[in-house]
Amino acid sequence: MPIHSVYTLSKDDAEARSWHSFFRRHGYSELSNLIIERVYWLEGNIEVEKLLPLLANPLYQQTSSRTQLKPEMGPVVEIAYRPAVTDPETPSILAGARALGEDGLEFARLSKRYQFVGLEEAGARKIAARFLYNKIVERVREPNETPTTLRPSGKPDPVTSIALALLNDEQLMALSRQHSWYAPLAQMRAIQGHERSRGRVLTDAEIEIVAQTWSDHCYHTTWKSLGLLRRLTKATERIHHPLVVSVFKDNAGGIEFYDDWVVTIKGETHNFPSSIAPFGGVATKHGGVIRDTLGFGKGAYPIGGTTIMGTMDPRMAEDAVPPGALHPQLVVTESIRATAYYTNPMGIPMMHPIYRQHPGYAKCLALGHSVGLIPKKHALKDAPQPGDVALLIGGETGRDGIHGATVSSTGMTGETLERESAAVQIGHPITERRFTSAIPVLREADCIRSITDLGAGGISCAAGEMGAETGVALNLDAVPLKDQGLTAWEILLSESQERMLLAVPPEKLDQAQEILDCYEVGHCVLGHFTDTKRLEAVWRGGKVVNLEMSFLWEACPIEPLEEVEPRRQPKLLDIPEPRSQEEWGGAFRRVLSHYHGCDQSSAGSRFDTTVQGRTAVGPYGGRNHQMPTNIAVSAPLHGKPYGVITTIAMNPFYGEIDPAQMARLMMVEAITKAVVAGADFREMALCDNFYTPKVRPGVAWDLSRMVETIADFSVAIGVPFISGKDSSSGTLDCGDRKIEVPLTLAVATLGRIPNVKKIVTKEFKRAGNKLLLVGGCDASYLAGTVYADSYGQRGARLYDPGPTKSIMRLWDALHQLHNAGKYVSGSAIAEGGVGLRLFEAAYGSGLGADIDLVRMEAGFGKILPRRELKGRGKIDDAHRAKLRSDGLVFGEFIGSVILEVPSDFKIESFPRGVSCTPLGEVITEPILKLRGAETILWQDSISALTQSWNKTFQEVVE
Amino acid sequence: MRQAVTAILYAPGTNCHEETGAAIELAGGKSEVVLLHDLMEGRRGLGDYQAAVIPGGFSYGDHLGAGRIYGTLLVAKLRQQLVKFLEAKKPLLGICNGFQVLAEAGILPGRSPGKRGLALLENQSARFEDRKIRLVVSAEKTLWTESLQGEVLAMPTAHGEGRPLFCETSSAQSPRVAFRFADGAGNPTTRYPENPNGAPGSVAGITDATGMVLGLMPHPERASLPAHYSQDGLKLFLNLVQWLRRS
Repeated sequence: MPIHSVYTLSKDDAEARSWHSFFRRHGYSELSNLIIERVYWLEGNIEVEKLLPLLANPLYQQTSSRTQLKPEMGPVVEIAYRPAVTDPETPSILAGARALGEDGLEFARLSKRYQFVGLEEAGARKIAARFLYNKIVERVREPNETPTTLRPSGKPDPVTSIALALLNDEQLMALSRQHSWYAPLAQMRAIQGHERSRGRVLTDAEIEIVAQTWSDHCYHTTWKSLGLLRRLTKATERIHHPLVVSVFKDNAGGIEFYDDWVVTIKGETHNFPSSIAPFGGVATKHGGVIRDTLGFGKGAYPIGGTTIMGTMDPRMAEDAVPPGALHPQLVVTESIRATAYYTNPMGIPMMHPIYRQHPGYAKCLALGHSVGLIPKKHALKDAPQPGDVALLIGGETGRDGIHGATVSSTGMTGETLERESAAVQIGHPITERRFTSAIPVLREADCIRSITDLGAGGISCAAGEMGAETGVALNLDAVPLKDQGLTAWEILLSESQERMLLAVPPEKLDQAQEILDCYEVGHCVLGHFTDTKRLEAVWRGGKVVNLEMSFLWEACPIEPLEEVEPRRQPKLLDIPEPRSQEEWGGAFRRVLSHYHGCDQSSAGSRFDTTVQGRTAVGPYGGRNHQMPTNIAVSAPLHGKPYGVITTIAMNPFYGEIDPAQMARLMMVEAITKAVVAGADFREMALCDNFYTPKVRPGVAWDLSRMVETIADFSVAIGVPFISGKDSSSGTLDCGDRKIEVPLTLAVATLGRIPNVKKIVTKEFKRAGNKLLLVGGCDASYLAGTVYADSYGQRGARLYDPGPTKSIMRLWDALHQLHNAGKYVSGSAIAEGGVGLRLFEAAYGSGLGADIDLVRMEAGFGKILPRRELKGRGKIDDAHRAKLRSDGLVFGEFIGSVILEVPSDFKIESFPRGVSCTPLGEVITEPILKLRGAETILWQDSISALTQSWNKTFQEVVE
Repeated sequence: MRQAVTAILYAPGTNCHEETGAAIELAGGKSEVVLLHDLMEGRRGLGDYQAAVIPGGFSYGDHLGAGRIYGTLLVAKLRQQLVKFLEAKKPLLGICNGFQVLAEAGILPGRSPGKRGLALLENQSARFEDRKIRLVVSAEKTLWTESLQGEVLAMPTAHGEGRPLFCETSSAQSPRVAFRFADGAGNPTTRYPENPNGAPGSVAGITDATGMVLGLMPHPERASLPAHYSQDGLKLFLNLVQWLRRS
């Protein structure tokens, strides 16, 4: 078929201008202009003229059949997707062309031509490689290319049998690596044993399915070996919480909401793909976790999400980046672009955009949550029945993402970046958006018996799981393909995004297909559920898979893991206490400009926070809508006052000091954030996401202690974990050294509240009001704080919020006060301590605060009984004997809160047994003021402080 | 008498149809989500409805340009129905992506399907802008802003392409601006981020010659319900419902 090209040039190109100034800021001052020309490649017998209204708007775009760039102006670099990857726009161009009556268009592709005016060819290519394309999925299109077709094409390899019976251990392992199964020896032996006992050589498709099913990513072998999954589910069972509807077993966890609705939560990490190809990895992180919501019960509707990225410091020098890792600035900027690219078109409000850094995140943390809503009567799946149709819906199946499950279960090396390129997927949000609209309609029409998403392991995993109890027979020839070169195992394993698998009662099939047609969702009958208890598949006339479900689901050998307590060598902090106005100013600027404390709204404002019309409190609030709120409150039932509240706690610094204590603190922090806003901790559930290095004895020990801690603590406070996910592959192997992620646990809360209008937010409300610090406070603990990190130090012992009972008493007291309307603003202390919270509350209100450190210190003596000071063994951090005033201001007293109360509030009226100490008062003047015994230690205007606060992140991303 | 029904047109990628329906309902009106697919297949007709809203979203993934595919389909497949709807002077509202669709289809500013007189270009910042902004209502007469002239309304914006470029040749008939981005004092502003997309003349929304068709980038439906931080957007839907009751 002939291939036509249409070159378009925009008269007003904001993207080109934006890149131009970006490059100039990043050292390319000789770049005098940047021009972007977009090219459409169109294959088919067509009249190009007819398509022009579709391809360009003549008001600002000029089209031509030849390039409009003048070669003498500067070098041109043309970027396009690799031939095996379909452009996201291709289906839309085809649909538009058909509407215009041009049926001859067979395929379409796009490319972008960047002309760098003022640069040499080499410089242009260097910029392009660094910033403009990802070589895993895109490439530079050379000027003289003349492809014969635009379609991804190829012939599939035949299915082969792979005999294992005669192989020795070494050969088994070599095979496991060669095929990217990454199956450990015990698993390879189990598969070998199966072959021997059945007397039948397995096909490549069968071994692929087994390796994928048994991968750590899908089977959680590490966690199972350590008994951790059981530990957490037992804890939740023991709590027997009346609101809990569904825990751990389904794609998400759910609690009862109001009016016979259920709200759900799920968190997923997508660390490996996001590390090697951040744009594709992060986009599909969102796509994947949203599908977990859609795959909950009989199909929940996503009403909110998060994005949490942990990278190395994005400001690090280029030559300090370890081999095998991308520059963290690229990871962050690409991840922001990807989150906007995926979640905005999905129409799902962003609840918590959070960016964190730690030198251990060479293999980055890419976590996302999805919150969902579903009628209670549809919250539990039915079991597929023999005879039910296995209906595959959504996008076509391609070569993308093959071996994602097995590769992501292993560590990452410098070579992974090149070798496992196929494991990276491209997301097409429009495809997912289509079935997001259709699924509730299918559900309400009783077309769904069961539903699950296709993620890691693709069809293999989804069909294997759904048919585990019955059996399922698949016809792989029915699967619509993007790439005709896919062989059977690739079709089974492909992790092409935006697909779901449904079990549809046979009598409902016609109706289901009609609904899907109306919503323009692709679908195919993949097969049907059977009573054979086998996973079967046919392809091109032959049976290529015939596995017993019992082998697949029960025969995976779980090897014992050794646990050895790691020896930490804590270093005491050595931080000079500020003595002068100037030093205090410096201390504040350190915290406000710290990556974890600074204004991250230049990322957050790129994500839609109000779509769906459910947002009562979004991630930013206050007078100018730019103050971080640290909570998200949604009113999911339009017109009803009921609210869903979510909060997040995640801290990579604490994990380095004491992983178990960190785990407890994360629970306390997340819950306290919700409680101070007005939620009752008794109407709340939790979601855990672990990210840990590849397991070795020391890591296994820590991981076990973390899980024990959160399991026990959740039982003690009666707040259950209902959903979670673990990733134990946070190790980058750089050849001569290994970089391990810090032990990471992100805790998310999901709570319900009767009235969103009663939510109390952080910003100050009125000058003259009193400020109180409620809860514990210990000025000698600065370990793990943002303040300490700003000195490049970590410290030795984390702050302890005290016994469980006193924490619960505080939560109850806060809830009582809230219900009685006793406080008008409030915030939970976390990173950056009291100091950061005061700044934010002032920034969000246009008011200021006058803080009396002497009264705070006096209160401190009272609230921390002597026995606690003495009873904790050795004094570890520096300056233990003396109260540090910077410790009061920047200590991270997790579990404590700042409250703003009316001036006539009697501190004596505070609920008994809860510590409360006066901090100072809200003042009209927008300044922060710290008072010492006789003098003002320091004061500065909020506007001057804002300068420090809002630069850090902006400089990273803009 | 049968209550007037407002069609909320859904195409793949539309994602603000439910809350738009909720806002109309709170205003006392009745609405129905109508699939573009059903209109194109002839299962539904625009003529069955007394008003229509094209809500926000990323129709067809914003591919080739925001609103481009949707606009192309409207003109290529539904031109007759559309012309009838316009001639009958029925209220038509395009919010955000809906405004982009109306522009791509040529319905705004010129009521001329297939002839584009306005493009909504990428924001000056070259990024998606999620902001809570103020709008000042102009003196132009439209049913949507009746009795709101001069008022400052608070509502969210969330878009990547909202910077209007009007066709130079149509300058004789300058566009009828219905809303302008405003600063804290309520004055039209070109300052970022109060004017989040860099719109020249602070233009945030326009109406057609009849005042029946309105397109705006901000989202009134997200500032309508009691749970929202502002209910200013509801005023537009109240005007719609009142007008439908009157006529």
